[in-house]
Amino acid sequence: MTATTSIQTRLLLLVIGSVLTVWLVAAGLTWGDARHELDELLDSHLTQAAALLVAQQGFEHDDDEHGLDAPVLHRYAPKVAFQVFHEGRLSMRTANAPARPMVDMAEHWREGFRTVEIEGVRWRIFATHGAERDVQVYVGEQIDSRGDILKAILRSVLWPIAFALPVLMLAVWLAIRRGLLPLRQIQGVLQSRQADALDPVHLPALPADLAPMLDALNALFGRISTLLSAERRFTADAAHELRTPIAAIRTQAQVALAETDETPRRHALQATLAGCDRATRLVEQLLTLSRLEAGQPLPMGTVDLAPLTRQIMADITPQALARGQTIELQGAEHSPVQGDAALLAVLVRNLIDNAARYSPDGARILVTLGEGRQAPQLSVEDSGPGLSDADLPRLGERFFRVLGSGQSGSGLGWSIVRRIAAVHHAEIDTQRSAQLGGLAVRVRWPTKP
Amino acid sequence: MRILLAEDDPLLGDGLQAGLRLHGFQVDWVQDGEAAERELRAQDYGAAVLDLGLPKRDGMDVLAMARRAGLTLPILVLTARDAVPDRIKGLNQGADDYVIKPVDLDELAARLRALIRRSHGQPVEHLQAQDVALDPASRTVLQAGEVVNLSGREFDLLHALMLNAGRVLSREQLEQHLYSWGQEVESNAVEVHVHHLRRKLGNGLIQTVRGVGYILPKTAASQA
Repeated sequence: MTATTSIQTRLLLLVIGSVLTVWLVAAGLTWGDARHELDELLDSHLTQAAALLVAQQGFEHDDDEHGLDAPVLHRYAPKVAFQVFHEGRLSMRTANAPARPMVDMAEHWREGFRTVEIEGVRWRIFATHGAERDVQVYVGEQIDSRGDILKAILRSVLWPIAFALPVLMLAVWLAIRRGLLPLRQIQGVLQSRQADALDPVHLPALPADLAPMLDALNALFGRISTLLSAERRFTADAAHELRTPIAAIRTQAQVALAETDETPRRHALQATLAGCDRATRLVEQLLTLSRLEAGQPLPMGTVDLAPLTRQIMADITPQALARGQTIELQGAEHSPVQGDAALLAVLVRNLIDNAARYSPDGARILVTLGEGRQAPQLSVEDSGPGLSDADLPRLGERFFRVLGSGQSGSGLGWSIVRRIAAVHHAEIDTQRSAQLGGLAVRVRWPTKP
Repeated sequence: MRILLAEDDPLLGDGLQAGLRLHGFQVDWVQDGEAAERELRAQDYGAAVLDLGLPKRDGMDVLAMARRAGLTLPILVLTARDAVPDRIKGLNQGADDYVIKPVDLDELAARLRALIRRSHGQPVEHLQAQDVALDPASRTVLQAGEVVNLSGREFDLLHALMLNAGRVLSREQLEQHLYSWGQEVESNAVEVHVHHLRRKLGNGLIQTVRGVGYILPKTAASQA
């Protein structure tokens, strides 16, 4: 099977992708937030330190001894620096601070934060002054050190993700596999099926979202099964029905081979040919019926029953006349119905042919085309023996034959008539002919809309 | 040998009748179940070929009726119903053989002969009485190894007597064996054929039971 991407892979990618995205966004937000908080905290430290230095200058005002270098008390100290100027003179600074003010703002001095670069290093500087503006204090901190802290924070956030991701992937993969178990069960059940196993698939504890799919599948199995059993029954019936004509052909041919007298030999040969004709007709009927039962849509058009019936009667009349039968058409000049001309011809031919075939020599056959209550109708009546009340409803069952008719029919003609009527939504009924005493068959097409 | 053929299909019935006649059977042909039942009750047939899908009365019913009525003749069912349950049912109802259409004519005749032979307790095809041997399949008669030319009726008469060796057959019974329907039976036909047989095979074989009929005595050799 060529599948694009398995559901499992797709789910895995989607889940891991979503988790990763959420994590990265969260890390980004954490980074921004931490940076902001850190800036505020450290800036407040800078202002606090500056305020202390300003306050201190008040007490050491006249001290000429310039303690220039503040002691280094912490390894971080080189990253922090300050300068104190008193009346323009440098009165105190850290060792790493230059002698000149770290912020050069000779023109208009202003209290506040600056970011400056001193000897290639970026500093965050807070500048302030005393109350009389004679003291100026600069407190600075290398910006790099802030970055280091931020990186440490981020590392602590991201490292667990790096470790957790593979574990998470494995867990998600296992979860998805487990979640898709019912699908694999269905696959297993379907794969292990024989081609002819069409009973419904049942799985214990089927998830609710898979049930509709399985129901649809089972419904399909049901339809295929019905179709298949109809097909099998038809094949069995057909094979059964073909046995007798073939047996007749075989027997007659063997008689013809064994017979030495000319007359019986000719008789057997003619009977062989008649048997072949009968088998041919049976096969044609079987094909027509199987096409009808396949249920393909019909090409519908307007068909005038009157000329169609006349043509069929013209075809059948010679045989009927040879048996002394009279055959007669009466009724409407035009009788348009919706349908398939070829199939309607088969229907009409079967009806009239049956009437002639099952009526004795010299019988009367009357075909009437009528407009019964706006609906076109065709009736075929004969003066033959008709049907018993018990036989009437069985007419049209496939291969049902009227017993004792002396005719070698298969009973298929009637099945075909019924099927053709059904696909044209026409009603068909049989009764005793009031006029002629034999069988009367009436086909009524649906009323015109 | 006279048999009843019950087959509703005109072409097949006609062919079977003609074909079985060629194999030396006298064939009465009926086309529905009621007629089959009537004839089976009325006549003494050597065997019957019965179709199952018969009009008016199903062949299976005819079969059951015949066995209920105590008829022991061999009945061969010849049908298009090929399903195993049908075959089992047919045999259980009392059929001696169940043959699916289409059937080979020669095979059908051979099966019928075998059934008839069995029904007379004959395990082999050849019949033997004294120095006379009869082969129903090839319809030949040998006496002391020499072929004896018999007419069809003479053969059938001898066949009937040999099959029923040790039993007296009346003139009417023999006539039933020899003639199917519609065949003219001359008043002294059986006497004439017996006379011819005695002339060809010697007087010792067929004995007359005065006022009753004829018998071919059962000898040790007749069961060969």
